[in-house]
Amino acid sequence: MAASTERNERDGRLGGPDELSEREQAAVETLCYRLADDELVLGERYTEWQVRAPTLESDLALSNIAQDEFGHARLWYDLLEDFGYTEADLIFERDPGAFRHATLVELPFEKGDWADAIVRSYLYDAAEHLRLEALENSSYPRLADRVRKVLSEERYHREHARNWLERLTAGAEGRERVQSAADRLFPHALALFEPVGESDADVDALGLRTESLDSMREQWLDTVLPFLSSLGIDAAPELCEGTDVESLLPESVGRDGSHTDAWPELHAEMTRTYRDLGRTEARRIMSDPDDAE
Amino acid sequence: MIWEVFRQEQAGEYHTHCGNVHAPDREMALTFAQIQHGRRKPTHSLWVVPQPEVSEVDDEAATFGGTTDKSYRWVMPYNRVDPEFAEEIAESEAEQRDADEQRSEG
Repeated sequence: MAASTERNERDGRLGGPDELSEREQAAVETLCYRLADDELVLGERYTEWQVRAPTLESDLALSNIAQDEFGHARLWYDLLEDFGYTEADLIFERDPGAFRHATLVELPFEKGDWADAIVRSYLYDAAEHLRLEALENSSYPRLADRVRKVLSEERYHREHARNWLERLTAGAEGRERVQSAADRLFPHALALFEPVGESDADVDALGLRTESLDSMREQWLDTVLPFLSSLGIDAAPELCEGTDVESLLPESVGRDGSHTDAWPELHAEMTRTYRDLGRTEARRIMSDPDDAE
Repeated sequence: MIWEVFRQEQAGEYHTHCGNVHAPDREMALTFAQIQHGRRKPTHSLWVVPQPEVSEVDDEAATFGGTTDKSYRWVMPYNRVDPEFAEEIAESEAEQRDADEQRSEG
């Protein structure tokens, strides 16, 4: 096959966006949608805490994390724009059913439950870290070049979540709330490691990602379960009893386009102003990430 | 609990007080301070200090610098010195150095 010969000549690295075969482009798109949609939707959810977090300081910290996630989404959507898509195609005019984020990021927060925000952030950021590490040596240079920048911001996210978890679980009431958030969110966090479809196998086969989803899930379980357990939180007791991970998954995982009812609602809200103003394209207020680099 | 925050822009410079954060302990104070005081301005390092650990003396309790005229403390008058004196001073210093060396040799 011409495309694979091309890839081998480049030492296993893929070319630029215009040089990809159809199969290669499909795999890059699959990967970028996973990344971008997760970050966008999680950032959108986090903003609901603005002016509602427990203190001014925690409000600023979470808002800042939300802004980081939007910034990361922008980097990944920009790679999709290489293929001719516009921001309107990718976000504002896209069918909510076409989004590929995991359901963890779309679920509404339990009203006023800060433990929900913190547990969600912890489960997500631990997975995000593994996922980014598996992209540092991606065969697609456009992607690999952007990973380091994102990784350095993610460190704060993990520390922030861990610091909060340690303190929330210091008392009985807090521990109970963390436990109940973990019970509710854990199955949806497992959805982070679900494939988008068959093209996800190509993401591995073409070296876009250097760790498979299964292998990352194992590493993630080895990270989060012992940490939560050290805080007195039992996140997935079924797993210790030998239950298959797949059986713990929620009905909708998001990755395959199946979402909870909360998602179309959130998407409608997120894009309402765009529609109300009768827009047909998204205004650009920042320079292209390539120009800013 | 309130933690006073000091920001250093570049290595080697002084940490300058820039505000405070509310946090239950030292680690959370550092976590919050990074965002509240380190995200917009160039930052090389932040200190957080528990507010009760800061001691104060103000101008009600003390008369800073005293009350009598001590303008002689300011070296301003030297600005009006005849530059030739500078040579004289340099010569005099050189003489003293020589004398000192001779003494130690002797």
